[in-house]
Amino acid sequence: MKALHIALKDLRMRLRDRNTLVMMLLLPVGMTAIIGFAFGGESGISTVEFLLVAPEEGGFLVDAAAGFLSQHELFDVERASEEEARRAVADGERSAAVMIPEGLVDSFLSGTPAEVRVLRDPASSIKAGIIQSMVEQVVSSVSAGSALGRGVFETLDKDEPLSDSEQLALWGWMFMWMRDAWTEPPVSLDTADADTVDFDVHAYFAPGFAVLFLLFTMLTSAKTIHEERESGTYGRLMAAPLSETSIIAGKMLGSYVLAALQILTLIALGSLFFGIEWGSHPGATVVMALVTAAGATSLAMLIAAAARTGRQTDNVGTAFILVMSLLGGSMWPIEQAPEAFQRFGRFTFNYWAHGGFKKLIFDDAGLAGITQEIAIISAMSAVFVVLAVLLLARRRA
Amino acid sequence: MSVEPIIRVRNLVKRYGELVAVDAVSFEVAKGEIFGLLGPNGAGKTTIISILSCITSPTSGSASISGIDVVTDSLTARSRIGVVPQEIALYATLSARENLMFWGRMYGLRDRTLARRVDELLDVVQLSDRASNRIDTFSGGMKRRINIAAGLLHRPDVLFLDEPTVGIDPSTRRSILDLVKKLNTEGLTVLYTTHYLEEAEFLCDRVGIVDKGKMIAVGTRDELTESIGATGVIEVRADGLDDAVVDWLASLPEISQAARSDDGLTLNVVRGANLLPTVVDRLTSSGVDIHSVDVTVPNLESVFLHLTGKRLDEENDENNRRD
Repeated sequence: MKALHIALKDLRMRLRDRNTLVMMLLLPVGMTAIIGFAFGGESGISTVEFLLVAPEEGGFLVDAAAGFLSQHELFDVERASEEEARRAVADGERSAAVMIPEGLVDSFLSGTPAEVRVLRDPASSIKAGIIQSMVEQVVSSVSAGSALGRGVFETLDKDEPLSDSEQLALWGWMFMWMRDAWTEPPVSLDTADADTVDFDVHAYFAPGFAVLFLLFTMLTSAKTIHEERESGTYGRLMAAPLSETSIIAGKMLGSYVLAALQILTLIALGSLFFGIEWGSHPGATVVMALVTAAGATSLAMLIAAAARTGRQTDNVGTAFILVMSLLGGSMWPIEQAPEAFQRFGRFTFNYWAHGGFKKLIFDDAGLAGITQEIAIISAMSAVFVVLAVLLLARRRA
Repeated sequence: MSVEPIIRVRNLVKRYGELVAVDAVSFEVAKGEIFGLLGPNGAGKTTIISILSCITSPTSGSASISGIDVVTDSLTARSRIGVVPQEIALYATLSARENLMFWGRMYGLRDRTLARRVDELLDVVQLSDRASNRIDTFSGGMKRRINIAAGLLHRPDVLFLDEPTVGIDPSTRRSILDLVKKLNTEGLTVLYTTHYLEEAEFLCDRVGIVDKGKMIAVGTRDELTESIGATGVIEVRADGLDDAVVDWLASLPEISQAARSDDGLTLNVVRGANLLPTVVDRLTSSGVDIHSVDVTVPNLESVFLHLTGKRLDEENDENNRRD
């Protein structure tokens, strides 16, 4: 009960503090608006322009690939020479250029390595990322088709060598199979009804900034444990008939309620100002928000417990949160980073928190779809809390 | 002491690594008494209060409040004491009433009992009309009074006041001292730490003098001054003093102690009513420029000087410089 009174007191003080309110709500909403504006101010990307550098006589495979890449209304494709493509991407006229090498068909038939290159404009990372993912789909289909075709040939050739006309017919069937796989993939994202890829910049960045500023708010909140020590109120609490566990529990509870209020309010403001649809499973969104609030609360408490003063909590905590937000993709699309970088990101709270919200928004995941994120953040929270309590107890001893 | 003491401290020791902050301190405080812990900054007074308040554990020794051990039964002991820390341990952005309501709840008070007690105490500290104002809008003296009220909410057996007048103006100090006196006349036992001699002399029934972690003397003001055997004190404010002349004065049989300070000299005189001309002659013949000479009866300053060889304010300055 005394812990509850400590929580209510902390909450009352935090909500009276204008700086807290600015950090809680104004900054994340403002940053999301600025980033949205920087990416063109559109909530969706309706056209992705890119150049295709391909040999004129590339054969059926190149024509099929080029056809696939340009078939969607989302894409605006033009053929160009390599030199023109490099210049256009460097000047920012195009988001990317796809370069298909000479002899792709020969490589396909023989299984020798070939390289399809995507030249990206770093300033247009999202559009370039979309192109890259489409090219990856084509390349993986071609690779699979090549391996499958050569496997079939080897098997059939064992008993009786195939005639030229049989080989031609078989490869023809293989090309048809791949074209069908591209146009109607057996396993793929459902894009059948989409006229545009609904990549909402605000929807992508809003949860990232929400997580980032949630951590900052929690850091300010956790720092009060040092402020109370410095002002003498912590000592006075210790002289009152209640355990230190109750004091810490009260402070964590107050922080947690504040965190939950912040993230839920930001979700509401995201819908209100940017029209973000947080998926069609409100229950899952609320659970994700509450689990994220718990993770941020416990992580900030651990940082405060590890620091010796309020100022150290601020300095170390701010640096730590910024690095973690960069690694975890709260401030930029981590999907565009190399795999090795993304592996680092997986060790951060931000990665899983932002990831959970992205699944809710872009995959329309329900509770079952975000169990991994919920489990990992919950486990992180438990570890953070235990470490924070141990550190605080050790400091007192 | 004939009655059962409300505070009993036995051979209390607190070490921080090599540093001995409290060194085998023992004393007792009777119910209804104002007991002062007098000593320079850094003497160990606050550490003693912290141990008695169950904030810090002793390295060895024992302490009890109303017979309850502060280590083995700290939760019960804490409910019997009121603590007024040296700092303004209040929440600056909450109002006076909100602060008192919060601290009352920490001591288990509820609902109407709490609201009534808060009103009573706001009246006692004469801040009823400012109850709804935030603490950060209060003057230093008003904050001090609310700080004291927060320690009284649960009607403690004993109130610990740790240097409650540090950094405040003389008139506010006087009002704080009057408040403590008033609370004491209503039956409250007070343990009061200070490095101001005049506060200890004005307020305390008995005083324990603490220096370098040790309790070097305990008694009433009269008991302590009689214990040093001095009949008078000569205080000289002067420039140009040197060690030779101070040593010469200290060697006189009528002088039990001589101590220099930044602006002069203090002499504890054990006998010899006509010593003053001798002192003045010697000082002037040595080229000392005398500004004033006061002859007073012995006080706690004389006791501190006798016991430590230094003036209390001198030691405060030294400790402040070290800090």
